[in-house]
Amino acid sequence: MSNKTKQNYLNHPKGIMSWLLTLDHKRIGLMYLFSGILFFFLGGLLALVMRFELAAPGNDIISNEVYNNVYTLHGAIMIFLFIIPAIPGALGNILLPLMVGAKDVAFPRLNLASFYIYSFGALFAMYTIINGGVDTGWTFYTPYSTQSSSNVVPMTLGIFIIGFSSILTGLNFIATIHKMRIPGLTWYKLPLFVWALYGTSLVQITATPVLAITMVLLMLERFLGIGIFDPALGGDPVLYQHFFWFYSHPAVYIMILPAFGIISEIIPVHSRKKIWGYKFIAYSTLSIAFIGFLVWGHHMFTSGQSVFSQIVFSFITYFVGIPTGVKIFSWILTMYKGQVSFTPPMFYALSFLFLFTIGGLTGIFLGAVALDIHLHDTYFVVAHFHYVMQGGTIVAFLGGLHHWWPKSFGVMYNQTIANIAALGVFIGFNGTFFPQFLLGLRGMPRRYATYDEQFVELHSYSTFWSGILGISIFIAVMNLFWSFIKKNKVDPGSNPWGGMTLEWTHTSSPPHPHNFEEEPVLQHGPYDYDKVIVDKTYKK
Amino acid sequence: MSEHHITPLRTYLIIAASLLFLSGVTVWVSYIDLGSFNIVLAMFVATVKASLVAFFFMHLLWDDKKNLTMFLMSLMFFGIFVTITMLDTEFRGDLGLNPETKDPINKRAAFYDTLPLTDTHGHPVDEHSDEHHEDKDHH
Repeated sequence: MSNKTKQNYLNHPKGIMSWLLTLDHKRIGLMYLFSGILFFFLGGLLALVMRFELAAPGNDIISNEVYNNVYTLHGAIMIFLFIIPAIPGALGNILLPLMVGAKDVAFPRLNLASFYIYSFGALFAMYTIINGGVDTGWTFYTPYSTQSSSNVVPMTLGIFIIGFSSILTGLNFIATIHKMRIPGLTWYKLPLFVWALYGTSLVQITATPVLAITMVLLMLERFLGIGIFDPALGGDPVLYQHFFWFYSHPAVYIMILPAFGIISEIIPVHSRKKIWGYKFIAYSTLSIAFIGFLVWGHHMFTSGQSVFSQIVFSFITYFVGIPTGVKIFSWILTMYKGQVSFTPPMFYALSFLFLFTIGGLTGIFLGAVALDIHLHDTYFVVAHFHYVMQGGTIVAFLGGLHHWWPKSFGVMYNQTIANIAALGVFIGFNGTFFPQFLLGLRGMPRRYATYDEQFVELHSYSTFWSGILGISIFIAVMNLFWSFIKKNKVDPGSNPWGGMTLEWTHTSSPPHPHNFEEEPVLQHGPYDYDKVIVDKTYKK
Repeated sequence: MSEHHITPLRTYLIIAASLLFLSGVTVWVSYIDLGSFNIVLAMFVATVKASLVAFFFMHLLWDDKKNLTMFLMSLMFFGIFVTITMLDTEFRGDLGLNPETKDPINKRAAFYDTLPLTDTHGHPVDEHSDEHHEDKDHH
């Protein structure tokens, strides 16, 4: 028995091939996690290069051409190689089968294939960097992207390939959620992270093919001169934006919905209180996923699209605020009269609430046509986007990593350092991006390598705090890895936060290679803190 | 799992004949000039054909209803994409064609209603010559 409990997915089986050819969802999740973090650091490094270039006007560090490459690669790497694959691919893969009580995902071989497809696509992106970069911006807008002599083709080809990985992961998760749940685990007893992954997967399989089509059309025009987007050939350049944003706006929800799921797990566990409005949160996930398909035109208010469609898009955009508001209020009400403990995951969840609310509300500003026409392509949009994507998704991702770290690796990090780093991320983030709202309101355009004297003060604030932000994230991640190197082990049966979902109550830390030693029997719902007492157990 | 459905050969033949017939229809209507309605008709016939293949040859009609839902969802999302994109392409440039917004905005300000009408050189203009001025109030 003791031999059995020592065996876990990290140490059994052994050997490099057992990792490279593994069908274990947890190992595949880890491979996604490490590649994701690698790209996160690469994208972050590019962001810091940009910020330091912008510390003062003029070309101090890099030329205008290099700057164009740097912001394009920063965007493309962060979005297509890190945020979109990271949470579903890493945390989703590790946790989903554990949360539904399954031995693995529905199609383990497909799961491994999707990781290799992702890696193959990432190789093209790496080739782009080595071969001199790409300068179109991560949106690859026509007509420039059909004319630019930079590496548009390898980059878009890479994104095309990575899209398939995304579709296959989504398909796998949907099948797993439908078919692999243990008896008794009905839809309304699923952890909300599973609902979030379900919503994400639906968007992945319905929207991503359109991205692939868009990239193919772009290449058809470049290589064969078929007029799709070029007016000289009878095409329509605005049509490209319709295609691109029909995918990329739902993709914003591919990025943020899993983050909502993580927050829905962290808040009840660390407040030791039943989640408020379970069904509201679950259905708001699905309604966000659906409404997300109807609002893409709000990225195109200055593109020359018809006034009629601007009014329609602006109107529908406001609807996204309703389910999102439902979630925010439900999380706040969950904390009300709960036993809130200020653990590192909870710090990140609280940061998320603050930052995402600013990001979401400024999104409503930008949804209003009259205001957006003035703010479009200014730093206001840059700030809004980062408040949602970094303040929302990445902060939630860090929170999720801290929450499930002892579960995934059986080790506990230094919680004091983790709290300090979380505070550093919060302050550094606001210091970096809040001045950018002001810059945008004062007319500073995005994607410029230099600027007028009047913007110096705000830009230098932003640069200073971006350094703090970078250092804090580095410390947070290193603190996690240090716990692994230092082997600060927790007891395999420990449940340090007192979680009630199956991964905390029915399997060891780190989990058994086959997840559960025997099929788990569901004894309570995922957040039944009002009915059952679950102790926080944390032994070294 | 539901049992595998066995389709009579007769059904397959009827569907195959329908597909051939509809291909003929596609060719036939391409010779008739219906303006922009040509594309709508061609797409309609193609959708009917694709649906026949999916429902009968691919057994969607007798399959798990979840698969049918997925199929209908893909059509719905395609419909959303095309319809909303056409709200742009069909109405593009409508700003200049709408008589309400064609005139310079300052001409419609209430302030101008109290002034006598003039031409571009400032000379008074005869009201009856321009129907646009009927709604102006002159005292």
